[in-house]
Amino acid sequence: MAKIREEVLTTFLVKEQARFYRLAYSYLKNREEALDAVQTAVCRALEKQDSLQKPDAVRTWFYRILVNVCTDMLRQRKRVAFVPPEALDAGSYEDPLPTDGTLAQRVDALPAEIGTIVKLRFYEDLSLKEISAVTGVSLSTVKTRLYTGLKKLRVSLEGVKLT
Amino acid sequence: MKEFENARMEYEETPVPEELNDRVQAGIRQGKTNRVRRIWKRRLGTVAACFVVVVGALNLSPTVAAAAADVPVLGGLFQVLTVRSFTNENEDRTVTVEQPGVTGSDFAAQIDAEIQERVDAKIAEGEQVIAEYKDAFFATGGTQEDWEQHDNKVSVTYEIKSQSDTTVSFEVDSTVSIANAYQERTYYNLDLAENKELTLADVLGADWVNICNESIKAQMAAAEEPSVYFEESMGGFSTVDETTGFYINEAGNPVVVFPPYTVAIGAMGYVEFEISK
Repeated sequence: MAKIREEVLTTFLVKEQARFYRLAYSYLKNREEALDAVQTAVCRALEKQDSLQKPDAVRTWFYRILVNVCTDMLRQRKRVAFVPPEALDAGSYEDPLPTDGTLAQRVDALPAEIGTIVKLRFYEDLSLKEISAVTGVSLSTVKTRLYTGLKKLRVSLEGVKLT
Repeated sequence: MKEFENARMEYEETPVPEELNDRVQAGIRQGKTNRVRRIWKRRLGTVAACFVVVVGALNLSPTVAAAAADVPVLGGLFQVLTVRSFTNENEDRTVTVEQPGVTGSDFAAQIDAEIQERVDAKIAEGEQVIAEYKDAFFATGGTQEDWEQHDNKVSVTYEIKSQSDTTVSFEVDSTVSIANAYQERTYYNLDLAENKELTLADVLGADWVNICNESIKAQMAAAEEPSVYFEESMGGFSTVDETTGFYINEAGNPVVVFPPYTVAIGAMGYVEFEISK
């Protein structure tokens, strides 16, 4: 049983690795760090495979690990990054979101907790319920964040299913 | 939704480095080894927990303890047991007691009774100190809310210092902590073969006072910071006597213990001097 689970898990990880890298890269915007994040998440997944109860849920289970690794790395980076005061222009206090650029660039500029939801929904095709499992926030919070995100992106909400 | 199709395409164009597969494989290997290590750690933890259960059972059940005492190798080890262990909490204080008991002979029973008496007295004393403190607290304008912030404790614990086939040496610590902590330590050094309490004279011979004094003074002088010890003229150490507390360490040497503030500055806490035989 445990052997089969390990088999399913490794197959899944190897097969979908490009998706993981892209998601990690979208967070970290750095090739080396994204590689590190994927390796760390894969390692942690194998290590904690006992906490994966239903093999069908492997996808959401692993995304959760990966997203956590990425946000941890971002947080750590924040701790060491030094931004001189003059580098902060006054405008950045108001609305940090660029209004131009492609939609993908604007998605990247979203605050992490909103960006995650937008990316998982539209790039990774996860359902809102799955996203709630990945991010560990309630379904209604996922919905409101997605709604806020879309509003910030100034995407027409027509035809977007929130369920 | 069209907009997102473009965004998604852009996203999926993110170039994927060649070494990704190597990194994933490395992660898999690493994770597998870590997992094996974790499982072993857990197993060792279970083994340790089993030991705790054995010791716990010895302490809880006289039958198990009696059975263990009959096992030749274990016999010596299980002479000192926890005879009473409880926590009692009310709104004013928490009482925690780990009361040791000695088994094996009438003499041991006598010591048990003495310990019991002392523990009871200590708890009563602690309760009284706390009750007085509570009265004073409210009398001087303290509020119920503030009082509940206090974590008053009375605790009695013990520690076995050493044990041989016939002797056992242990320390009983009683503490009442309110705003300050009042601590008292009592040492028991028992010779279960002779059925008596050991004195320093038994351990060091007739000349024990001189042996102790010389050794203690030499150790104080040799200390890294001799000024932590009070000068004799200032009420510091002068001589040991029958009331001086001591225990016997694993090496069989007596260790003389002075309470805080008696021979050295308070920061030194309990001060111990090992007297080599």
